[in-house]
Amino acid sequence: MKSTRLAMIVVAVVVLGVGASSAAGSTRAAKKNVTISVASLIPGSTPEAIKQFNAQVAEFEKKNPTIKVKPVEYQWTAPTFAAKLAAGTLPTVFEVPFTDARTLGDRGQLANLTPYFKKLPYHKKYNKAVLAEGTDAKGQIIALPKGAYAQALHYNRALFKQAGLNPNKPPTTWAQIRKDARIISQKTGKPGYVEMAKNDNTAGWILTSVVYSLGGRMEKGTGTHAKATLNNKYTVKALNMLKAMRWTDNSMGSNFDLGWSDINQAFAAGQVGMYISGSDVYTNLVQAYNVNSSIYGLTTVPLAKNAKAGVLGGGTLAAVRPKVNKVQLSAAMKWISFFYEQPLVSKKQAIRNAKTLVANHQPVGVPALPLFNKKQYNLANKWIKPYINVPLGHMKPFLNGIFKQKLIPEPAASTQSVYNALNAVVESVLTNQNTNVGQMLQQANAQAQAAIKQGS
Amino acid sequence: MSKPSSGGGLISELQWLKPGTRWGMRGLQVLLLVALVVIGLGPILWLAKSAITPTIDTISHPMALFPHGAAWSNLSQAWNDVHVGRYFWNTVVIAFGSWAVQIVVATTGGFALSVLRPRYAPLIKGLLLATLFVPAIVLLVPLYIEVVHLPIVHKSLIDSYWALWLPYGASAFNVIIVTRFFDNLPREIFEAAEIDGAGPFQLFWRIVLPMSKPILGVVSVFAVLVSWKDFLWPSLVLPNPNVQPLSVRLPSIELQTSVGVFLAAMFIACLVPIAGFLIFQRSFLGGTGLGGAIKG
Amino acid sequence: MTTVDQPREPALSSERGLSRSYARPRRTPLTWVRGGGLAAFLFLVPLLFVFGAFSWYPIVRTAIMAFQHTNLVEAPTWVGFQNFAAVWHDPLFRVAVKNTAYFALLALLFGYPIPLMAAVLMSEVRKRRGVYSVLAFLPVVIPPVVGVLLWKTFYDASSLGVFNTILHWVGLGPYPWLQSQQWAMPSLVLYSTWANAGATIIIYLAALIGVNPELYEAASVDGAGVLRKVWHITLPQIRGVLLVTLILQIIGTAQVFLEPYLFTSGGPNNATLTVLLLIYNYAFANSLGGNYGLATALSLMLAGFLVVFSLVYLRATRSWSTR
Repeated sequence: MKSTRLAMIVVAVVVLGVGASSAAGSTRAAKKNVTISVASLIPGSTPEAIKQFNAQVAEFEKKNPTIKVKPVEYQWTAPTFAAKLAAGTLPTVFEVPFTDARTLGDRGQLANLTPYFKKLPYHKKYNKAVLAEGTDAKGQIIALPKGAYAQALHYNRALFKQAGLNPNKPPTTWAQIRKDARIISQKTGKPGYVEMAKNDNTAGWILTSVVYSLGGRMEKGTGTHAKATLNNKYTVKALNMLKAMRWTDNSMGSNFDLGWSDINQAFAAGQVGMYISGSDVYTNLVQAYNVNSSIYGLTTVPLAKNAKAGVLGGGTLAAVRPKVNKVQLSAAMKWISFFYEQPLVSKKQAIRNAKTLVANHQPVGVPALPLFNKKQYNLANKWIKPYINVPLGHMKPFLNGIFKQKLIPEPAASTQSVYNALNAVVESVLTNQNTNVGQMLQQANAQAQAAIKQGS
Repeated sequence: MSKPSSGGGLISELQWLKPGTRWGMRGLQVLLLVALVVIGLGPILWLAKSAITPTIDTISHPMALFPHGAAWSNLSQAWNDVHVGRYFWNTVVIAFGSWAVQIVVATTGGFALSVLRPRYAPLIKGLLLATLFVPAIVLLVPLYIEVVHLPIVHKSLIDSYWALWLPYGASAFNVIIVTRFFDNLPREIFEAAEIDGAGPFQLFWRIVLPMSKPILGVVSVFAVLVSWKDFLWPSLVLPNPNVQPLSVRLPSIELQTSVGVFLAAMFIACLVPIAGFLIFQRSFLGGTGLGGAIKG
Repeated sequence: MTTVDQPREPALSSERGLSRSYARPRRTPLTWVRGGGLAAFLFLVPLLFVFGAFSWYPIVRTAIMAFQHTNLVEAPTWVGFQNFAAVWHDPLFRVAVKNTAYFALLALLFGYPIPLMAAVLMSEVRKRRGVYSVLAFLPVVIPPVVGVLLWKTFYDASSLGVFNTILHWVGLGPYPWLQSQQWAMPSLVLYSTWANAGATIIIYLAALIGVNPELYEAASVDGAGVLRKVWHITLPQIRGVLLVTLILQIIGTAQVFLEPYLFTSGGPNNATLTVLLLIYNYAFANSLGGNYGLATALSLMLAGFLVVFSLVYLRATRSWSTR
């Protein structure tokens, strides 16, 4: 028994001694390195794009010698994001679309950035509407906006010319779109107007955009008490327009299961006359498909003469994993500020960023919507003007028109479920001439309403 | 199995002498051969041709033969930019690991159930048989949740190959056919070895395994085929593109590169299975036939 | 087992029977180890671990989760039959069942008799039968993802699509293939037949070759023609294989997932939505997390149906397949 008590004393001393030394060690550790993983590029990016990103990482590490940054290829898709979220294998800094951020924040699945946010020198300059997308119900900042877009009409200048249309005078009303589409398909054999109709919710997304431009809305109210209004008269109008172009004019081609990437791929290969997508897709057209800049034209989505008509706006935010310690959170915020925000608020950083992009043949100057106030937006564009290498001239119709348009956020409650409910009716209109639009919209509305009530 | 040197016997020698029957039959067989070439070989030949055709030609004249020359750059782009080689290697690693786990589980389990026969063997055999009747989909969701968050260890197997190797190992079919094979091995050899003082491990390693080459061949072919072809499960548990096998990666690649490069990547993905098949024909065709013979 | 004092090597089955006539010795852990029980257990550890953790445990959990509401953030709650009711009342459920049955039926119509006819022809090939086998089996070797994506290219609905171009040579088309709610499912079946018929052909071929030629000779002597011989001798002789491939094909097609997922994502307008795809959508299609209760409930319903169907099938064909 004596031996056991002695043994216990020895053990206690050892444990305390180890504890003491490790405590001393942890104060020393405060100066040690911290490693964070960050979302980099979508997989399949060109080697130049990857080089450009690594150059930025090197620069950041030089400025912050105690932080090591590990780039992780990243692309947001519904199933993979859900898997990584559940498993906790997202990089420390990752990206989420506007549609999901607030729900994730409310569920505690994003880190609270508010204390660090307040320390940012430019935190007062944010565009309020855009910042709201990254603010949860309790008013905490859980994600910082990194890019905002509005829907735009992309068109192929070469096909316009071939069809005898003036590429500098793109359509400004839906009637003109219909007419031009018919002419293009007749004269060039390529589809004049293509609309996303894939089952991955892009069908519902674009239909919603068209409905907004006619003056309709998909929801009334917010949260789980919102009322679904999918079957409003503007949705019917949008679908009838689609029906006419598809079956009467036959100007939409023969393949209709195109999603965001498919349509970009087809456009870059010269197979599409006009299509609606986010204003920032030019980057993807260059990075994935090496599009020929001479064919690219950009203009605004035509709005009906209706007080409520507007253009759908969305965007992406940068967020941080919830279970990180203070050191990692601070490092993550430094990276977010350096990589995403600084190029928009600091002249030096903007120029440096632009130089790196140009050196690696990446597009600089793709039209983006302001994250900060208008003054800052104009300033940032002025800084990078000498480095712009995108065909800005071809994008004039958009740049001139977008700020006159009313920007409308995506339906706030159960956004993806609303889009999901609309997929089937879009697909049906394009594949079955005898689609009963009214009946299908009623079903879609019921489906969306059920999802809204459940909060999914 | 009768070894026909002259047909399966459906048409007797006498009938074969009749020119009507002979040429009628030959005609049908030629038709069948042509059909098999067009249907079986055609798509692959088109893929090979299009892999080195420029995208614009493939889109506008899919059936033409190199109207503007070949584009060998598709292949090099597929290999270098799209990194087909990396995904191919991932596929190989996954196949190898799942093969190893399946062999270990099936042989050790089969040996215990067939040769050592503990008292609870019938219970295990019953459970295995029951598992055979359960469609794989039933496992999917809880297995996924389990892999996302392992119960006792509280770790995640997401993005780890063990999330594939271990579940593949749980193949009741493998264990059952190996057990049956061991059942059919002559007992005298075991008893002789026992008398010579062999313990169970030596019995397993020195006697049973060497005699099991045929069944191990069948299990290996199935194991590699299953892991090579699988799509859904790897797509769920390997969200990180760098560790994904070809089957999961190709659909994403399709949307991120031009058509010509994508077809080149697909062609490269086909080469090994086709080559493997042509070399190991007998195992493939024999194994599938064996499956039929067992049940017939 | 033997007594404690005489440790022996593991008892083989032949010996186990003898030991029962002896007086039962006290079974202690030591006798168990010495009797070879430890060795048997050690050999079973890989199997028990892998099956226990990754097969039996998940199966049990499915049965439990079907009666719960699970999201991965909070603890699961019991909801009784709510999930089953929700699935039953989901309009997409009926659509999925109808589509799956349609796929299975079409696949059976094409994929069952055609390989048989091909195999019969091939069994009579005298020289270089191997070439036929290799060609027939080649599509089976192509990884399914490659096959589907390749055929997706073929199915391009414009007049420049591969199939439409070929059909144009004989004055047909262009056809909408995957872009039409009527054509989509048959297009999937056409691909599936191409990809899988080879394996069935090889199985039939092996069975056909096993038929005793003397039976044919006897029939020839009686003056039977080829077709009569096929009907009265060939088919009955290989009925075991025929019945097994039939049930396997039905069970396989009931679980079709890859083709609808990669070709059409279940569209257009849910024309190719199958039960498995619906389960997948329940569980994995929502970026904010899936409804695992619905997914497991539907999985159980499908499994239950297949088990019942198999039992009924086995009973009904028992008399037919016994020799």
